[in-house]
Amino acid sequence: MSHPLRSAVVFPCALVVALLLPTPAGAAKVTLDKSHWGHEVGEKCVSCHQKASAGLTKQWEDSVHAKVGVNCMDCHQAEAKDADAITHEGYVIATVVSPKDCGRCHTTELAEHQGSVHAEAVSLIQDKVPSLAHTLTGVAMEAAGCAQCHGSVLKVRGDGTLDPSTWPNSGIGRINPDGSKGSCSSCHGRHRFSKAQAREPSACVRCHFGPDSPDKEIYEASKHGMLYAAQRDEMNLGSDTWVAGKDYSAAPTCVTCHMGAAGKLPPTHDVGMRNMWSLNTPVSQRQHLVVFEDGDKRELPDSMEAPKRGTEMEKGNGTVGKVKAVATPERRRQAMSSVCLECHSKPLVTDFMKQFDDVVLLFNEKFGAPATAIMQDLYARGVLTPQPFDEPIEFTYWELWHDEGARARHGAAMASPNHAWWEGMYLVGRNFYGKFLPQVREAAGKADGDAIIRKHLADVAGHAWLAQPQRTNPILGYPPKPAAPAAAEGTAP
Amino acid sequence: MTKPRWLPSLALTRHVLFAIVAGGVAGVLFMVFLIEFDHYTSTAEFCTTCHSMKIAENEYRQSAHYRSASGVRADCGHCHVSEGVFAATWDHIKGAQDLLKEIKGKLVGPDYDDPVINALHAPEAAFAARRQFRANDSANCKRCHVLDAVVGKRPDTAAIHREDAKGKTCVDCHMNLVHRKVPDERTFKRDAWNRMIEEEFGLAPGTADRLMKE
Repeated sequence: MSHPLRSAVVFPCALVVALLLPTPAGAAKVTLDKSHWGHEVGEKCVSCHQKASAGLTKQWEDSVHAKVGVNCMDCHQAEAKDADAITHEGYVIATVVSPKDCGRCHTTELAEHQGSVHAEAVSLIQDKVPSLAHTLTGVAMEAAGCAQCHGSVLKVRGDGTLDPSTWPNSGIGRINPDGSKGSCSSCHGRHRFSKAQAREPSACVRCHFGPDSPDKEIYEASKHGMLYAAQRDEMNLGSDTWVAGKDYSAAPTCVTCHMGAAGKLPPTHDVGMRNMWSLNTPVSQRQHLVVFEDGDKRELPDSMEAPKRGTEMEKGNGTVGKVKAVATPERRRQAMSSVCLECHSKPLVTDFMKQFDDVVLLFNEKFGAPATAIMQDLYARGVLTPQPFDEPIEFTYWELWHDEGARARHGAAMASPNHAWWEGMYLVGRNFYGKFLPQVREAAGKADGDAIIRKHLADVAGHAWLAQPQRTNPILGYPPKPAAPAAAEGTAP
Repeated sequence: MTKPRWLPSLALTRHVLFAIVAGGVAGVLFMVFLIEFDHYTSTAEFCTTCHSMKIAENEYRQSAHYRSASGVRADCGHCHVSEGVFAATWDHIKGAQDLLKEIKGKLVGPDYDDPVINALHAPEAAFAARRQFRANDSANCKRCHVLDAVVGKRPDTAAIHREDAKGKTCVDCHMNLVHRKVPDERTFKRDAWNRMIEEEFGLAPGTADRLMKE
């Protein structure tokens, strides 16, 4: 069954269609009847766990799960044949609760999450991990760093234990022993599973923080964050439904724009659905979202032609799937903008998006694309070894798009001027002219380096100023003050 | 009434006295022998005269039952040989089967001295040991551990044992305390186990399955 949001974003006039559908207003309500939970032995766990792990038991006791009768075994039940099944106090259970387990009741959220950028977070970094975690640092960093956000490939050892190089882990794209991808507890703190907690910006901060994706800092520095901090107690965070503009209007959080219900726009657990651009790439691209029959999804640059519904297409993982729907970049932007419209006027939203798009295009054309072309040139000429990070310029290029370049683009996307400029594009400019280009000359030699730079920058209008060394500006002390006349010194007291 | 002639005389003749004393001494000596035999054959020193047991011993030496903070040390027999001279003797007779396997392994079948073979067969050994512990209600644990005396390091450990351990025997919860960790029989997966052992010993995939067939 197509999820309401998917219809809304994918098909023309879909917002109208969505209007007609009985869409859930908050996160989807579990519509199953009570016979689906209340495992007969689950209540037996409580007495011992109140003593053995009082904290987590108290969290569960305070949860909606406990109130409606969802017990330990409802989530932790397993079959003996499951790869990660263990016996515990005579019962077969599993430590890891996967999205598939949660999806026994939360079917809508599971379906939406499947194939999302969150669910695919492991594959997103697969080709980066060997260089960054293995050679640049060491494998210990994979478990403690990369995998804690992106997710580990959970390994169950032959003795039934979970391999500590892959567990504990609540990375959002964790590949579970049952084949499902993700970890709901990445955002929904176990074992309380509070709606209010997951709606807080802090639910996202554990990963969306720091030099390459400073979304916490950007949000806090934006007027959205300003309002949230001041008016948090008006956010109605614990509300059953949480529709922007209806249940709350004090401020938007991460959830509001990327997942939340707003007006007629239904909520979604596909957190990347409303993102038109790829912002964490050397060159940003507008993207189609291809949805396959089996629920898998694939981001497709709009430089490539969108497939027709019903045709076959290669998925991200190399297998082939049947295309069920395609959300064009325009549709995705439309979905995002419809959230803005709850509080802002249409022209304001359109013009804000233009400011954002202009920053992305500026980064692409002036820095991202030429820097990438120069790097490819240096590799092709054998000036650089293929091994990443054994030459200084490789760090400069990497950080140019992955750190300051991403900060600039995220800053523009979420309205933090400081991140768009000082933490972002200013550093891009500084490092491009002050580090990257000198390192090109250093690596290739002055003559070849100049030739390479000329070749890739000559046609980029943004670099034309380099040919005007005589242009003046007093910012750095030009023109120099004329030297004081020597006679003046003698008259001083 | 005169005693029929065919009944032996109950008179304490020298022969009778000798037989009683000799039999008594022999009996006492035999019991002493059995006790001493069971005692000696329950020690790690004796058990490890079989090479394969060295592997079990190495695991044991890393465990809290060998190096306990309190200075109490459990020996092989404390856990694996029943209390009481008759039960202990019976356990040793049963245990002798392992000795036969050990010897047989030198000629045909699995050689348990080989660490790989030993590890591959460890689950079945663990399952058998657990069956024995369950069958006698963890009697060997209780030789040292007294439920009422369990205090534990965490505040609620005592309460858990008092209130939540009803109807359970020690080994239901406390497994894998000494030897190589083996999952419960119900969730054990031979294939996963074989892969783990291959990885541990750096063997080509499939080696374990071949070794198990031999």
